[in-house]
Amino acid sequence: MGEKVKMIAKERVDEITRQTAEPAWLKDSRLKAFESYLKTPTPCNRDENWHRTEVDALDLAALNVIVSDSKEKQAGKEPEVITQAFAHLGKKLPYIYTTPQNVEIGNADSELLSKGVIFCSLKTALTQHADLLNKYLSAQDLSKPDFAHDDKFYLMNQSLFNCGAFLYVPKNVSLDSPVLNVFTSGEETSIAVFPRVIIIVEQGAKAEFVNISTSAKSKKSEKSALSLINSSIGTLVGHGASLYYLDVSDFSTNTFAVSRVYNEVKKDAALHSSTVALGGWQIKSDIQTNLKEPGAKSDIRGVVLGAGSERYSFNTIQDHIAPDTASTINFRVALKDSSSSAYLGTIRVSKEGQRTDSTQSNKNLLLGSDAHADSIPKLEILADDVKCSHGATVGPADKEQIFYLMSRGMDNLEAEELIVQGFFRQVVQSCPVDGAGDWINTLVAEKIHSENPNV
Amino acid sequence: MAARDSKQESLLKIEDLWVSVEGKDILKGVNLAINKGEVHAIMGRNGSGKSTLSYTLMGHPRYRINRGSIIFKGEEIGDLPPNDRAKMGLALAFQYPVAIPGVSVSNFLRASVKSVRGQEIPVKEFRQELKAQMALLEVKDEFLSRYINDGFSGGEKKRLEILQMTMLKPALAVLDETDSGLDIDALKVVSTGINTLATKETAVLLITHYQRILNYVKPDFVHVFQSGQIVKTGGSELSEELEERGYDWVTQELTPSGVA
Ligand SMILES: Nc1ncnc2c1ncn2[C@@H]1O[C@H](COP(=O)(O)OP(=O)(O)O)[C@@H](O)[C@H]1O
Ligand SMILES: [Mg+2]
Repeated sequence: MGEKVKMIAKERVDEITRQTAEPAWLKDSRLKAFESYLKTPTPCNRDENWHRTEVDALDLAALNVIVSDSKEKQAGKEPEVITQAFAHLGKKLPYIYTTPQNVEIGNADSELLSKGVIFCSLKTALTQHADLLNKYLSAQDLSKPDFAHDDKFYLMNQSLFNCGAFLYVPKNVSLDSPVLNVFTSGEETSIAVFPRVIIIVEQGAKAEFVNISTSAKSKKSEKSALSLINSSIGTLVGHGASLYYLDVSDFSTNTFAVSRVYNEVKKDAALHSSTVALGGWQIKSDIQTNLKEPGAKSDIRGVVLGAGSERYSFNTIQDHIAPDTASTINFRVALKDSSSSAYLGTIRVSKEGQRTDSTQSNKNLLLGSDAHADSIPKLEILADDVKCSHGATVGPADKEQIFYLMSRGMDNLEAEELIVQGFFRQVVQSCPVDGAGDWINTLVAEKIHSENPNV
Repeated sequence: MAARDSKQESLLKIEDLWVSVEGKDILKGVNLAINKGEVHAIMGRNGSGKSTLSYTLMGHPRYRINRGSIIFKGEEIGDLPPNDRAKMGLALAFQYPVAIPGVSVSNFLRASVKSVRGQEIPVKEFRQELKAQMALLEVKDEFLSRYINDGFSGGEKKRLEILQMTMLKPALAVLDETDSGLDIDALKVVSTGINTLATKETAVLLITHYQRILNYVKPDFVHVFQSGQIVKTGGSELSEELEERGYDWVTQELTPSGVA
């Protein structure tokens, strides 16, 4: 990327298109998205989805959009964040590491290549596999989430995306270990970046994908130096296929991170998705899962650990479009200091969605006396033969538990670490990726013991 | 009293301790001295303030010390947080230990032992030590992967408390009604645990409601606790007398009118 240009404007779309020599259909789709973007009002606190997010504080006009072409090269020395992930995941995995300056490709697996698996940067995909991408994008398989219509940030991403990754797993091919995609904004501030990840798992195939997003930790938060990291992630899980997707984000207190995840699950396919959110000034994340055909299953999990004055807002939407589909949602949120969280969980069952089986659970643990959590379940059920349940709890940490642990010599933070890990256990323990649970526990412990500058 | 007369400095010395909970006075002038390696029993009715004493010793924030002092190893500990007291060698086996879902017993024990000893112990060494103590307390391996007190029976909770004491090896173990709710077999096992715990290095303050456990664990001193005070102290024969004559006997002896 490299070169920075002020302002989000149509010229940016032109520049991106010019520099990356994209196919014409993509330019059209970017321009269309940009038109919708212009017509869509900026969200405000009055919107149900946004009522706990301080969206006004983000001055879009002050952000530098990075448009120029990035250098792509084979990785040299492995970045620290990747080394840490590998230590827990047990081996070196193929990875893509993207910064505002360049893209590094590491541990490319020739065996996967020979099976027809594609794992590359989005830019490479658009030049070398444009037809394949077009087939999926223009079939609109990946373009129908709720936010495609009225979400300013999603439309911004769809018109300006300028980095990201593409994973394609052909029919009946199984990846038995994950691939890793890392985006970091590094030390950069006052920038706007638009990563886009597209994952396609064809019929009968199996894949694991780990997505890490970070920025360098700043010493103190400066609202004047805010950055916007606005990501979109689209997954398509084909007939009888399975995908495990793990998303770990840990941003500085100068980062406003918006992400829009759209999952589409086909006949008898299974999606497992775990989201781990560990930091940022504000995190605004929507995860929509459409269960499009009978037998589709999704298991969406999340753990959020807030500190300082961080704000988290997660929306999950389960859309049971076809009959005989099943979904589970389990989100656990632990909040220190004066951090806050708003969780909005929608279960939607269409008229055709008979015999839907859906459960949703959101639990919030308030560790800080000024922490705050909201949990709003929304059921929109049009079929009559369904099993749907939802539950939410918000409560302070149990002082007796803390006393018990402290009476065994642990200080307050050590006690908190065990309690939070215990609270997250149910969500974390059954991560299908080997070593992921252990890795998440380590990240959680690090955050609990880190000094938070944003208190 | 040998303990009080001795010239050596007591391990624990409680003097004129007054404690309130939510504005209500519960402990009303407790005096007690315990020397290294001694076994003391405190016996008293329900509601007499025994657990208040044990929580206060460990530093539960809800209990407020209004007067008096708690000297442990020569240091006033009344203002120290519980973890500092634990590191000094004080430990409490809870009457009603809390459940902590999601935290496995083995993780918890490792974290506890590491905190109290102030250093990481090699996994193998820790395992060996733990296995030996578990065998003694007739605790099955599957115990370790269960969550702390989550769905534990009363007896399992008490065994876990004693297991912790034997792993932590405190200078003073306060056992708050560790015998309550145990059947006779469990009581014997737990008593064996207490007897291995009570060495020259570890003094025990055994708080109990019944005389029964004192058939298995022989205290050097027995104290009768009533209305937030120690009202009578004697040797182990005192517990038998209490068992025969009931707590009312002490009450009457102290207040001839029979009104406590
Ligand atoms: N947290 C509390 N709040 C109010 N009263 C309490 C609390 N804890 C103990 N008490 C009161 O203090 C008295 C002594 O209780 P406790 O120390 O538990 O006695 P014991 O352990 O001897 O049965 C009782 O009257 C009890 O009701
Ligand atoms: Mg009691």
